[in-house]
Amino acid sequence: MEPRRLCHVLDQSRVILCAGCGGVGKTTIAASLALAGARKGRRVLCLTIDPARRLANALGLERMDTEAKEVEPARLTAAGVRVEGRLTVMMLDPKRTFDDLIVRHASSAAMRDRILQNRVYAHLSSRLAGTQEYMAMEKLLALVHDPGYDLIVLDTPPTSNALDFLDAPGRLISTLDSPMARWITDTFAAPRKSRFDVVARGAALALRGVARLTGAGFIEQVAGFLAELNGLFGGFKRRAEAVSAALRRDDFAYVLVTSPEPASIREVLYFAERLAEHGLRRDVFIVNRVHQAPGATPTVSEVDAALARLGGPADHAAGASCPTLAERIARAAIEEDALARRDRENLRVLDELALGPGELCPIRVLVPAFPADVHDIAALAGIADRIC
Amino acid sequence: MTFPFDRRFLFVTGKGGVGKSTVTAALALALARRGRRVLVATSGARERLSTLFGVAPFTAESRLVAAGVWGVRIDVDAAMREYGGMMLKSRTVYDAVFDSRLVQGFLAGVPGLHEWAILGKVWYHSTETDGAGRHRFDTVIHDAPATGHGLEMLRVPKVIVDLVPPGILRRDAERAWHDLTDPIRSGVVVVALPEELPTTEALELVEALTSELGLPIAAVVANGVLEPLFTPAERQALLAAVPSGLAQPGDVGSSGEAGLMSAARRAIREELQAEHLARLAAVAAAYVELPLLPHGAMSLPGASTLAERFG
Repeated sequence: MEPRRLCHVLDQSRVILCAGCGGVGKTTIAASLALAGARKGRRVLCLTIDPARRLANALGLERMDTEAKEVEPARLTAAGVRVEGRLTVMMLDPKRTFDDLIVRHASSAAMRDRILQNRVYAHLSSRLAGTQEYMAMEKLLALVHDPGYDLIVLDTPPTSNALDFLDAPGRLISTLDSPMARWITDTFAAPRKSRFDVVARGAALALRGVARLTGAGFIEQVAGFLAELNGLFGGFKRRAEAVSAALRRDDFAYVLVTSPEPASIREVLYFAERLAEHGLRRDVFIVNRVHQAPGATPTVSEVDAALARLGGPADHAAGASCPTLAERIARAAIEEDALARRDRENLRVLDELALGPGELCPIRVLVPAFPADVHDIAALAGIADRIC
Repeated sequence: MTFPFDRRFLFVTGKGGVGKSTVTAALALALARRGRRVLVATSGARERLSTLFGVAPFTAESRLVAAGVWGVRIDVDAAMREYGGMMLKSRTVYDAVFDSRLVQGFLAGVPGLHEWAILGKVWYHSTETDGAGRHRFDTVIHDAPATGHGLEMLRVPKVIVDLVPPGILRRDAERAWHDLTDPIRSGVVVVALPEELPTTEALELVEALTSELGLPIAAVVANGVLEPLFTPAERQALLAAVPSGLAQPGDVGSSGEAGLMSAARRAIREELQAEHLARLAAVAAAYVELPLLPHGAMSLPGASTLAERFG
């Protein structure tokens, strides 16, 4: 298959999922992709996890705001950005999504309150392994058929290991829906019902062992919590299948974000391999914060000449033991050049190992390192220019 | 405030990508140079510390990886089995718990259990003694998960203490929590880069650790600090002298002007860096700045250079 350009991905996808390890600027890239999509006339929802406060403010989001909120056209115009479509942003709050699910699915007010007020639920609903990842997918499933949006850009949770995003929902489901959990819930839901099969006897022994560690009563509380939840969602397994099917949709694109650092490249390649193993697509690698070469590394006298022409600053640190201002300016260029070379060298590894049709990743796009942090709409638009 | 070298247990965390492993290694070398026996513990699926020390991958058995520094990888399943073995005296019950796939599947997802197995095991190493009653290690450093997950991990013993009824699990969690909250004994090392997001996340982490959990901060470490080339006045003057549109290297007149543009971009970075460093330095804890090394710090020479900065 011909590799698709990022522009085509933005035009044709229903969902774009941004993945990568922590600290590579995934949230910023997701916001830029969303803006790029909106500029192309699409109605875009950017579902983000935890944007930097200044970026959130720039988009008009309050920190704890979890409602979908359209970025006012006036804000965009003020930043010099013309948007043909619409840009809506929404912050994902796993605890809130979980609560909403319970409110929506509980068969009675009594059941709803029983769950929401369960001590275990209160402590752990947002801490069950994989909850954040699961709730991100849950939210996505709820929104994917919303006719109000043409494109949903999903920023994935900041995990130390990008794979958690794929594996954690399964882990949550296998806990809630494991034979053990079912046995526990059956037992505690109907304590008088006698169970004589071998599995149940083994489990009973095991459960006594676990209870010896945790003390009396705790397992019952956990079991009560799991029983309510499992009943509520009509089997998490079916939902897991829906998630798995959604991940394989044709109009569901994967954008892998990395920095040019070797560790980050290794991580993203590993992630790409795992996506391939799962039979999932890899559409684009975005390498964020790539250092650009200064164009030239001048001699000290060339710098002096330029300083004289432009009326540059006086040498504040002049002294016998200190390098002159011109020397330090020349050094700034040399160091910038060295960073650019190092990045180019690191990127060769990525290109040789993974780039091209039929390879781990069909195309890659470079986003330059900006001297200042990216936290306003104009800067996002600057990135959007680079990627499409 | 100087770095508290006498703590027994240090928990190193910070936003993803800030260089936690590098800082862990540098800190271990700094402590070893002071004659302390240091254990570095890691739990990630893909640990990077062995590469840095130039040794075979860490295993569950602690091994000498540099003079005075031992390394260990905490294997979650093994740690859980071992813990179970110590607690469940009956072999039959033990087998029933740990050889049952049913139970394994269930345990894998019980909230906080994995985190507790890892943290509990690392903490246990800080209490280990030899035959003569002497501590096996003077300091145990945990190269811990990134901020969110790291905070979760630290929260687990407190949740157990709050939630689980009296029993073995609760008793152990109480002991660990007692040690972790003791500022003489333990401390969290918060690592940041002098950039907006990592700095903000570090400050929020400090706030959560101190006010919500009451955990002591051993130090704030600013990693990857660019050596300033220009004074604040020069930065301002450079930015004023260079025409706008300097955000990106593009076509410029002479190579001298290209140099000025490069210097102006550097000035912006130095200016922002100074702002973020001031925010980090304001935290009431020991504060250490580690320089950005031209060839990267993920090597033994790199970490050794950084080790000197701990004073």
